[in-house]
Amino acid sequence: MGEKKIYSKLGEVIAKGDFVLTGELEPEKTCDLSHTIQEAKEMAPYVVAANVTDSPLGIVTINSMAVSHIIQKETGLECVWQLTVRDVNKLGIAGMIMGGHALGLRNILSLTGDHPNMGDMPESKPVFDLDSATLIKLVREMVDKGSINGHEIEHPPTLHVGGAANPNADPMEAEILKIGRKAEAGAEFIQTQVVYDIDRTIEFLKGIQKYKVPVMLGIFPMKSYGMAKGFDMFVPGVDVPKDILAKWKSVKTDITDKKEQKNVYDQLNYEFFKPFISELKSKNLLAGVHCMAVHYTRIFPKLVEVIGA
Amino acid sequence: MVVITTKKPVDEVLNVLKENNVKKIFIVSCGVCAALCQTGGEDGLNEWKEILEKEGFEIVNGLVVDDVCDNREMAKVLRKNSEDIEKIDAFVTLSCGLGVQSIVETTSKKYPSMKVFVTNNTEFMGMTERIGRFYMRCLGCGDCLLNETGGICPITTCAKALMNGPCGGMVDGKCEVGNYERDCGWVLIYNRLKAIDRLDLFSKLRDARDWSESGHQREVVFR
Repeated sequence: MGEKKIYSKLGEVIAKGDFVLTGELEPEKTCDLSHTIQEAKEMAPYVVAANVTDSPLGIVTINSMAVSHIIQKETGLECVWQLTVRDVNKLGIAGMIMGGHALGLRNILSLTGDHPNMGDMPESKPVFDLDSATLIKLVREMVDKGSINGHEIEHPPTLHVGGAANPNADPMEAEILKIGRKAEAGAEFIQTQVVYDIDRTIEFLKGIQKYKVPVMLGIFPMKSYGMAKGFDMFVPGVDVPKDILAKWKSVKTDITDKKEQKNVYDQLNYEFFKPFISELKSKNLLAGVHCMAVHYTRIFPKLVEVIGA
Repeated sequence: MVVITTKKPVDEVLNVLKENNVKKIFIVSCGVCAALCQTGGEDGLNEWKEILEKEGFEIVNGLVVDDVCDNREMAKVLRKNSEDIEKIDAFVTLSCGLGVQSIVETTSKKYPSMKVFVTNNTEFMGMTERIGRFYMRCLGCGDCLLNETGGICPITTCAKALMNGPCGGMVDGKCEVGNYERDCGWVLIYNRLKAIDRLDLFSKLRDARDWSESGHQREVVFR
């Protein structure tokens, strides 16, 4: 973030150039946050911040701004508030950004959001007044210029804003040029979709290097074969390679002792991600890793060592 | 250009007519767009005559009218058929929403209690591939981007009408909406702009759409 002002711990660590590890919290369709708070507490010693998802796959969950605030208040873990442009128009989002600041939030990840048609309220009106790039631009205007559409904000918000990227996207060039637009809009960091293909990842990261935006690579250590299979089937734009699925399946079928199974799953994750991240780090392509190991917090203590965060 | 219509379920229409105590009807069937969509025209008129008569409604008159959506045309038809109009409870219109509203606007002064009903749902302003295959390619948003997007409209071809796509819901050039069967509009735009050597336009950061002139009733008045 160069000589820019620093508003958060995440902003500070990125600016210093230390290798960042961020986690992810996925609140569900509930008003009781005890499980999410517990997970936040478990990952807090190991991550700089945790993303809080905003109704992923268009399936309605408790609001991400409220959850981000509660997590910060209850656990001290800094949050990256995921904010999609799916549900609220430009006017509403501008108000939410000021509200988010007032609630103590200092990082936003700007996302388009999965179409309501994908989720459990397909009859909802898809808003998309802004898109992920123009949301970044709006945040930056509010923070850097202290205005909205040129109208002064009495006490402007102070937040960092980042965007998402998908190295798996085909055609890749379209995705790379899109990241250029996000950089031009003022993205301060990029968190990527989950990747498994090292060659493709290198090609993509090299392609966006020219935009000079720090990149945190999305990884998804898989807690079990069921989780790997579900992720492969239901998450748009991500395919878990067949050889990985086969390895995870063999753990499920060959090992009967549950404790031993857990150890082997963990070990397989370390064995896969260690060389993967190490190669990208050696090429200076990464500012950090964004680990989306939801409900798999036991991975963090060793993961930090494995990836050198 | 055709305004694309599809048929409402017959029971839905019959229920509305019964709820409104309609007995005597004047059918107006569109001879242009709805005829092409097979929701109006001569065939539609005959079909609805049969349905309504079978249900006990009296059909006082039935006409195929070109340009139901043109107030001048409708005013002429109404003048010529005023005797029949005096006898009816309602118009049943085999047209798009424009036709219905044209009849409401042209009759409401002389016949303030006249009811007007429609048998169709209006889908979109459509491009015709062949009869029975119509596609929404233009939304009439009032601020045409086509000169910058290689002649492909992101407002209609992108399920989210994004100004800066593609989004993360694109997989192998297909859109998440509709189970990855339709093309991603922004990949189509990318391919077009690449083919005409104008990827500089694809790289351009576009501002959010300005809704200040189109988020409410719109009109074009030039004389």
